Amino acid sequence: MSGRWLLRRVLLIAYTLFIVSLVVFAITQALPADAAVVILGQNATPAALAAVRVRLGLEDPVWLQYWHWIWPALHGNFGISMRTSQPVAPAMFAALGRSLLLAGGAILLMLVLAVPLGLAAALGRGKPIDLFAGLVSYLGVSSPEFVTGTVLLIVFADRLGWLPATGYVPLGQNFLAGLGHLILPVATVALVLIAHVARMLRSEMIDVLASDYIRAARLKGLSWRVVLFRHSLRNALLPVITVVALDVGYVLGGIIVVEEIFAIPGIGRALIVAIEARDLPSIQAAALIMAGTYAVVNFLADIAYALLDKRIRYE
Amino acid sequence: MSELLRRLLRTRQGALGLVLLAPVALAVVLGPALAPHDPDAISFTTRLTPPSLRYWLGTDEFGRDLLSRILVGARASVPMALGATLLGTLSGAVLGTLSAYLGGRADEAIMRTIDAVMAIPALLLALLVLSTLGGGAEDATLAIAIAFAPGMARITRSVALAARQQDYVASAIARGEGGTWIVFREMGPNVIAPVVVESTIRVAFAVMLVATLSFLGLGAQPPAPEWGLMIAEGREYLHQAPWMIIAPGAAIAITAIGFNLLGDGLRDALNPRVDR
Amino acid sequence: MTPVLAVEDYRLEYASGGKLLRALDDVSLEIGPGEVLGLVGESGSGKTSLAAAIMRLLPANAREGGGPIRLKGENLRALGGRRLRDVRGRRIAMVFQDPATALNPTLTLGRQVSEVLESHRGLSPKEARAEAIAMLGHVEISDPEALFSRYPHEASGGEKQRVVIATAFACHPDLVLLDEPTTALDVLTGARILDLFRRLRAEIGMAGLYISHDLALVSQIADRVAVIRGGRILEEQPAASVFRAPKHPYTRLLAEAVPRSDRRLTKDEAGEESLIALDAVSVRYGRRGLFRSRTTVGAEGVSFAVHEREILGVMGESGSGKSSLARALAGLVPFGGQIRFSGRTIAEPGEMDRAYRRAVQIVFQNPDSSLNPRQRVREILARPLRLFGGDVAQIPRLLEEVRLLPGHAARFPHQLSGGEKQRVAIARAFAARPRFVICDEITASLDVSVAASVIELLLALRAAHGTAYLFITHDLNRLVEIAHRVAVMRSGRLVDLCPVTSLGGDQAHPYTRQLIAASSPSVSQ
Repeated sequence: MSGRWLLRRVLLIAYTLFIVSLVVFAITQALPADAAVVILGQNATPAALAAVRVRLGLEDPVWLQYWHWIWPALHGNFGISMRTSQPVAPAMFAALGRSLLLAGGAILLMLVLAVPLGLAAALGRGKPIDLFAGLVSYLGVSSPEFVTGTVLLIVFADRLGWLPATGYVPLGQNFLAGLGHLILPVATVALVLIAHVARMLRSEMIDVLASDYIRAARLKGLSWRVVLFRHSLRNALLPVITVVALDVGYVLGGIIVVEEIFAIPGIGRALIVAIEARDLPSIQAAALIMAGTYAVVNFLADIAYALLDKRIRYE
Repeated sequence: MSELLRRLLRTRQGALGLVLLAPVALAVVLGPALAPHDPDAISFTTRLTPPSLRYWLGTDEFGRDLLSRILVGARASVPMALGATLLGTLSGAVLGTLSAYLGGRADEAIMRTIDAVMAIPALLLALLVLSTLGGGAEDATLAIAIAFAPGMARITRSVALAARQQDYVASAIARGEGGTWIVFREMGPNVIAPVVVESTIRVAFAVMLVATLSFLGLGAQPPAPEWGLMIAEGREYLHQAPWMIIAPGAAIAITAIGFNLLGDGLRDALNPRVDR
Repeated sequence: MTPVLAVEDYRLEYASGGKLLRALDDVSLEIGPGEVLGLVGESGSGKTSLAAAIMRLLPANAREGGGPIRLKGENLRALGGRRLRDVRGRRIAMVFQDPATALNPTLTLGRQVSEVLESHRGLSPKEARAEAIAMLGHVEISDPEALFSRYPHEASGGEKQRVVIATAFACHPDLVLLDEPTTALDVLTGARILDLFRRLRAEIGMAGLYISHDLALVSQIADRVAVIRGGRILEEQPAASVFRAPKHPYTRLLAEAVPRSDRRLTKDEAGEESLIALDAVSVRYGRRGLFRSRTTVGAEGVSFAVHEREILGVMGESGSGKSSLARALAGLVPFGGQIRFSGRTIAEPGEMDRAYRRAVQIVFQNPDSSLNPRQRVREILARPLRLFGGDVAQIPRLLEEVRLLPGHAARFPHQLSGGEKQRVAIARAFAARPRFVICDEITASLDVSVAASVIELLLALRAAHGTAYLFITHDLNRLVEIAHRVAVMRSGRLVDLCPVTSLGGDQAHPYTRQLIAASSPSVSQ
């Protein structure tokens, strides 16, 4: 693809990240909690509070505060947590890693299940498999994660006792136990993904199969297998990439809830804890990291799409 | 209106959606009147009872009847979701139409910024807004509206642009029609329909968001019978009384599926090319 | 001698909404070896269904009946699965109407040719590639090896159609079905494709079924012509005589409806005074994005005048700028230069006043997008009536003027046929009592007979109201029939402007001469 096109994309993502950081900063600036009070306690004198505020930079003009936040952040320094008095960054990035594991597992599960499901539904249109896929889609799209997660907890952890209910074991420590703890949360997150992707793939596949060039391919006397895999699949899969990239947004939202339910110490959980404790630096860090991850994922998806769809390269 | 209803019922999804939403609407309008017991009545002797003839859906940890709480709780969840979607759609639609009208650089700048804001997932944005507003039902509505506005702006803009390029708009311009006529009489009906369909489907998402925010403790507060809150409270008693979770969960799912189906049905019902 | 194709009393119905719709009714035809049969019909005639039936690719709701479809004696209806796949592509091949949609956008052009060779002739990938490149050269592609690795969107319409033809001929089939192969192409490109086809036919001598709506065109290509309507074959004749001496009234109708350069439909002369004039008009389209601006030229430095009561034809291929001119005159796009009308000089759409907007009207090509789908016919007509000093009560009379029934006023556009929709668009234009109507390819998407009646309507309206027309089209024969003068556009510039009588003369621009040569000549010449 052309260098100019790539440059445009890079500039766009830089702009996106900039706006995201502005939004995160602006919203959290309105936080009513006064950091000085949190540090010194309710009984501190006004003079002491004022002094602490100046030291924290809270009296500086807004744009300077933004700069003092974003510049170190770009170097990986997110300040000190008001809750733990520890540097925010290491804990956050460790939490991000665990969340990515969860998200990655969900996407993997989705690919394994949604692609065959969507294909089968498209090929067996109107037949039982299609209705089943439709049912899964509606359910997936209409059940918030905390409902599905809790129901899965009830069925598999509580009633059947097959899987541990909550908690997290690092895979490096004990692989099988760690895996066991991850299955339910991954499945919960994956359900929404499967619903979207299967539905999208089915509808794309139906459109492709009805298209003129597929008719032409069949009229060339090519075998059904060739028509399906060489001609149809890649055309139908292309828009699916966009859906998956957009869905990472849902995943990030869902992760917040799922980590809460299953007590996984990921970045979503960290955000909730930070909000409850009014820990401003941590809130900002978690939000920026999550949104930034989403922006980067979409950027990568754009590139992947352009690599695959020859038509876009000449934009 | 009755014409629309008739067309809606003729589609499978529309009919099914209305069937699912009818009890929900009933609960919203007549909830308290329909509830067999007082939703706030505490009774320690009947706590955590499973579904029975007296308590159709069982009771919670305070002995409160779940069916009554769900019926009354509809008023907590559904109007909030509707309000948030309406607010988000209106503000988004204004922004989207403006951007489409301005065109050129302004349009692209606005859209790139909206794309950037949309990089923040809806729940995250709502959470951030709520964390500063403090939580509570009204703030949650506002937070969700803010989260929806960019998406609706995008959709409105793309629909407006598509309508703008049709030849019947060109014909109107060639006649010398003014902008007001073109926007409201020529484009309007063709733009409103897809936007209505999309926002109906968004209501389903809003219902789930409202419940999620309450579940996380940032929406409705106890002792409100909000469905998400009920699930959060029920988590402790997962083992003894799973019905505390299943009942409100089912209520959420039915409402969300209902709006989803309704939206799908409206898509066909509002399409003038589908024969009457 | 066994015919290559023999259809015997074939019947086809579609099951829809509980009813059976008859598509083909006791259809019989034969194609001998080396023979090309033309099948002429309008939309809904069943010609496409017949092609699908022969290729055995019918939709799920199709119900077949009647007799066999034989390919060299073998009944295709009795074949299934593997045997059928052998026949398709190898013994029967198809050339489609629109090469842009018939080619897979994510596969290289060469691959789409070579896969047929691998599949049916058992060639290895390397052999298939070499053979495919040879075939591409054979269909007159200039750099076959380079084109092999290109994608459809990187090739022109003509090149794409050649690739489709190469694919069809690759396995030396017994029978080739051609479904309107030039309809989606420009005049010049289409003519060259037909030349290619004639050449291949002379070389290989395979049998062919040429499906089209254009009786004149088919009479030039085929040996015999069959006319189909409503699922029935009405007439079958040698091509040489079907146009000159049609037997069936419908065939006569079709023959009459085809634009012919030996016939004159406009009987009177144009006025002398200039009604509306363009003075160095140019149209540029720009995309002003955040990152860069990109302008394309629609039209450049065009000057001409339209006289009172004149029909000025504008002829050109796609991208020639004829639509840009139309839009500039209608005040839809900003333009450079000036427009002079009624003593006033206009330099931009904003200067077009109520009087101009009333006197200058435009009718678009596609009635599906030019009529608001949410408005009934009476609402569509009421607005211009009221705007320009008319009255809603005049709607029935207006409908009658365009040969529609009063009952049509209550209908929505999608409840009307293509011809009826276009009449509504014309009625809308005439509601303002205009002096000048721009017709932007208004018959391009209509059937031949419907188009003829719309043209007839236009001429009648002109006779009644004295309106002048700017008639934009790609069909030169049509202009010879109705226009007083013809303007030829190419790449945004006015290349030629002459009275229609001196069109083929010595003063004509070489490009004009090319266009004339490429237009289907009238058969009776």
